[in-house]
Amino acid sequence: MIAIQRNNTINLARLQSVIALVVLCTIIAILSDKFLTMDNGWNVLRQIAVNICISVGMTLIVLTAGIDLSVGSILALCGAITAGLSKNGIKLPSADLFIGFTLLGALLGGIIVGSLLGWFNGFVITKFKVPPFVGTLAMLTIARGLTMLWTQGHPISNLGAPFATIGTGWLLGIPVPVWIAGVVVLLAIFITRQTRLGRYIYAIGGNENAAILSGININKVKLIVYSIAGALAAVGGIMVTSRLDSAQPNAGTGYELDAIAAVVIGGTSLSGGKGSIGGTVMGAVIIGVLNNGLVLLNVSPFWQQVVKGAVILIAVIIDKGGNKK
Amino acid sequence: MARKIVKYGLITIVIGLLAYKSVFIVKLSELQTVEPKAFDAPAFVQKLWDGKLPARLDSAITLDALQAALKSNRGAAFNTYFNSMSIGNLRYGLVKLTGKVLSVSDDDITVLAGNSNEPLTVKVITEYVYGNAIRDASRLVDIKDFVNTADLNNISEALNKRVRNVVLPPFKAKVKKDDNVSVIGALELNEAHFSLNDLEIIPVQCKIIQQ
Repeated sequence: MIAIQRNNTINLARLQSVIALVVLCTIIAILSDKFLTMDNGWNVLRQIAVNICISVGMTLIVLTAGIDLSVGSILALCGAITAGLSKNGIKLPSADLFIGFTLLGALLGGIIVGSLLGWFNGFVITKFKVPPFVGTLAMLTIARGLTMLWTQGHPISNLGAPFATIGTGWLLGIPVPVWIAGVVVLLAIFITRQTRLGRYIYAIGGNENAAILSGININKVKLIVYSIAGALAAVGGIMVTSRLDSAQPNAGTGYELDAIAAVVIGGTSLSGGKGSIGGTVMGAVIIGVLNNGLVLLNVSPFWQQVVKGAVILIAVIIDKGGNKK
Repeated sequence: MARKIVKYGLITIVIGLLAYKSVFIVKLSELQTVEPKAFDAPAFVQKLWDGKLPARLDSAITLDALQAALKSNRGAAFNTYFNSMSIGNLRYGLVKLTGKVLSVSDDDITVLAGNSNEPLTVKVITEYVYGNAIRDASRLVDIKDFVNTADLNNISEALNKRVRNVVLPPFKAKVKKDDNVSVIGALELNEAHFSLNDLEIIPVQCKIIQQ
């Protein structure tokens, strides 16, 4: 009975998202003739691919009733590390050694650093019982500082054509970032629906005490979830860096808010235990279309922020209403 | 136990293979011998300054001729006399002017110059010389010759530094109100929001004309 009720709630949230997206697209298409074009469609998909990667990680965390404010900074740091390893390698003058990285090595390096930072978030939250909001807020600052140290405040540019393919290339007529986001989404859907880890994530978010009493090692699950979110932020960072052909020290500023917005708009409850990856994808598409539409309609960037904030607020109010029922 | 050994053995092999395909190690001393030499922007600018730049300055259009050209066909005038290496509406051109100094401040001097029927007030910057105006206006740097945008920016910085340290100090020390001056420098105009009010020139050559 409870399961049916939960499914109905998720379906209702998804339906609300679909309706919101259709209404949004209709309004923008009426007001701008450039909106419903192939070029713009690919452009929107390419832009939201990064947010989808981050949002998927954020969804897993929010499902455990946590939050991660550091994904934007981790994105910047991992993008910079990937770029730095790929372009400059590591020089050890004292040992007269140069450690060079192939493209694969640089990508793995960035993703490993991302997952380690995510793991550290999880460690602080589980070991020292620091609230996720505070623990990840600290990581936001730490990772940004490390990015500045790694880059010395300068962009790392000219990363070469193979690296640029990740952010700007096409495969079978579809942009590479869209493929990457698609794979991430499919894997996340598989994990949440078909694996024990997925069931544990929902169980922890639904009722942490009950999960502990059921014998679930909640600390281990949280460590895994935060590590995955860190790795996905790194994937987003690699895509951003590749697309710009440059690792910017201030990249990813505010991305955590877009990710949280996508999660909330997609119907995932901030109190945990309720939501879906599909809903988050829908939320990310809504945010992406909204961003694109506001630009096409020549809305002032200041008003764009106001509109985005209002949309998030409405989504949270709807979420609260849903929870009361 | 055997399953565990196989499992961890396979993981080790995969990690080893990934590491083999990811990292290569060479002696730093060997690498440095094959590393290309870093771009020397000051040397590049020195060569430009002594070589092609003087001819470009000599052939710069006078301000009154530019006024006339902009009046008769603005688009053609922008194409002929102005240049930009970056996106946006700002264009830079080398312009010659002679005129009377109306005022002198710490940051600039204001000169009355141009067509005698429609004289223009032009600020000649004498303190904060920054940006890409001189590089772009000179048309002597081709973006295709550089693979690194930092090198292009370093050229601008070296040109600006030379103006700040070599060109301006003797001029600033002597110039005063009511002097007649001759200036050749980079003029910035906005093609989309065109206006000849509040003109600013970053000088490359400037001298006081003896009466």
